[in-house]
Amino acid sequence: MKVYQRLSQAFKAEGTTNVFGMMGDGNMYWQHENYKNGIVMHEVRHEGAGLGMADGWARVTRQPGVATATCGPGVTQLATALVTAARASSPLVAFCGEYPVSDDEYTQRLDQAAFAHGCEAAFVRMATPDAADDAVRKAFYIARLESRPVMLSVPMDLQQKDWDDDEPYRPSTSLLPTAVVQPHPLLVEQAADMICKAKKPIILAGRGAMWSNAGDAVRALAKRTGALIATSLMAKAWLAEDEYHIGISGTYATRTAMHLCEESDCVIAIGASLNRYTTEHGYLYPNAKFIHIDSKPHVMMSGGRGAELYVQADGRSGVEAIEAELNKREFQQTGFRNGEVKERLANAWEDRREYPLEPGTLDPRQVCLALDELIPTDISLFSGSGSTAGFTNILFRKPRPMVLPGHFFGCIGQMMPAAIGAIIAKGMKPAILLDGDASTMMHIGEFETMVRYKVPLLIFVMNNQCLGAEYYKLDAHNMDKETSVISTPDLGAVATAFGGRGCIARTVDEVKKATAQWLANPGPMIIDVRVSRSVVTLPYRRIHYGEDE
Amino acid sequence: MLTVNERIEVMTDPNNVWAILSNPHEVVHCVEGAELGQQLDDGSFDATMTVKFGPAKVAFNANVLLTLEPASLSGEVSGRGKDTKGGTKFRTTMRFKVENGANPDQSAIAITAEVEISGRLASMIETGASLVIKRMTASFTQALAKRCSTGQIT
Repeated sequence: MKVYQRLSQAFKAEGTTNVFGMMGDGNMYWQHENYKNGIVMHEVRHEGAGLGMADGWARVTRQPGVATATCGPGVTQLATALVTAARASSPLVAFCGEYPVSDDEYTQRLDQAAFAHGCEAAFVRMATPDAADDAVRKAFYIARLESRPVMLSVPMDLQQKDWDDDEPYRPSTSLLPTAVVQPHPLLVEQAADMICKAKKPIILAGRGAMWSNAGDAVRALAKRTGALIATSLMAKAWLAEDEYHIGISGTYATRTAMHLCEESDCVIAIGASLNRYTTEHGYLYPNAKFIHIDSKPHVMMSGGRGAELYVQADGRSGVEAIEAELNKREFQQTGFRNGEVKERLANAWEDRREYPLEPGTLDPRQVCLALDELIPTDISLFSGSGSTAGFTNILFRKPRPMVLPGHFFGCIGQMMPAAIGAIIAKGMKPAILLDGDASTMMHIGEFETMVRYKVPLLIFVMNNQCLGAEYYKLDAHNMDKETSVISTPDLGAVATAFGGRGCIARTVDEVKKATAQWLANPGPMIIDVRVSRSVVTLPYRRIHYGEDE
Repeated sequence: MLTVNERIEVMTDPNNVWAILSNPHEVVHCVEGAELGQQLDDGSFDATMTVKFGPAKVAFNANVLLTLEPASLSGEVSGRGKDTKGGTKFRTTMRFKVENGANPDQSAIAITAEVEISGRLASMIETGASLVIKRMTASFTQALAKRCSTGQIT
């Protein structure tokens, strides 16, 4: 057996079923062996997009996604996607070829360790043929334990050496702890003390709450304490069926939600990082004390602050313990849960500001509202970063199997690959993606990948034919905003040319009609929705124009 | 650094305007959301100010010093402070000069102000901050003009 064959076996033993990436001479033997071992290879058109797909896979399964790239130029293509995955805390292993150890002048040589470090990924190098098992195990161990991307760098010539050890591969899961982190009883009592003193609590749920299946516990705690429920952006729409759900806490909050946050005297944060966006640097909650529950030893809030009480615990275990303590004390209060607040929330999402629309364009708010209504709730939602996010992250409110906004690293173009990976991970169930035109164009080649693998993703391109974020910033600075305008072709026609389906839409009826056709027969499709540039998102109205809306 | 230049016309003579502008309580009264606190040994005052950046309110603690030059009917208000969360600082200097108006019972006030915001809030509100400050300046000059025109000193 050759080392590359053993490496493939090791990946299989780690639970790898799907790999995303591009073949090159640094990884092709390993890939070839993967085919023989029944690992499904998804060949993409850009290595970075492949890693983005593995990232999407990891975000929805919480299991290591696997990407691959050849040495040197294949690796450098990973940069943006690698940093994005790192910021998303995605467990991921990227199998990368490396230039031969016997050839210092190899054309595709690269200091891949330095590159991985610069991209915020961990780095594991297979330094000798005998270390194949150890290298794979260590890469998966780090990915799982630290929930981050790991570059496994394997010199091409070492892959061709003989492997003569017949001992079974021991996967990284055999080394990892399985126990759920339980809260310290004293901290639970202190949390209950703080909650009993609070009159207006808010429960702020992040991904950690979702991942620990804390839904029932959160609902029970909210009901007992009279708390409103808010989420971080990454837990968007989770528990949204609750009548006292105020949506996202932070940049994408409604004006009503921001006022309610200001009134709050206690925030019970569960599995949320409480970063600058979620708390608006802490300014969103000027009167609140924080109880922060997270499975990590400690999480620093935005601005280098710490919560008044930090409880290290798995989200669900932590909330259940606090709820039990409050039950023992027979604590119950109305808090925020009253008719007046319900009335305030009833119209919280209405945005009545009128804008003149350019001819042949739609109000993006109308498009979002119509789609949230039209798309059945068993269909998942992905939304991109960039200016479009200011509409989608606020106006899509329904809970869905997967709701995945993209904001990590603040870059555009990363959500289509992540959506493809997530859909493949979840058994090819239909989903929609709303993203901007610049984002879509960045990885438009991957639509062809979608067609080849029949990925049932409908992409709504919110096409205002400009770099939206820059357009509004230039306008706010009284500079020439037209310099950010870039025309696009008919992206529906591009989709058709790639072998999928697509159309251009300039009315809400055209959007609805095309969507209905996709719903009847989901597959790879693009609807190029021409939207107005004159409509400004709520966050931009605040950030760039200082408006109180 | 944001610079504001304003010239406001008021319907009262320069001496009345000077009487108002040389009284720190009167000046602060014209700043929306601001309150003057205790006077310190060096002549400066503690002050508080709440500013609305979008729907969010940010409370600042500040120290304000008023320096007057009666001979030229001019002066300077300098202030510096930080928000109550400690993450954002501001520094401002406002110079003013009372001038004769078109008629003896009219005056003009020339105002030049510089405002600098640094820290966490600065990155959050970007260009919106300058618009908020411009609106606050407009509100201040409007209130000051009204105050001077009524000729009443509290």
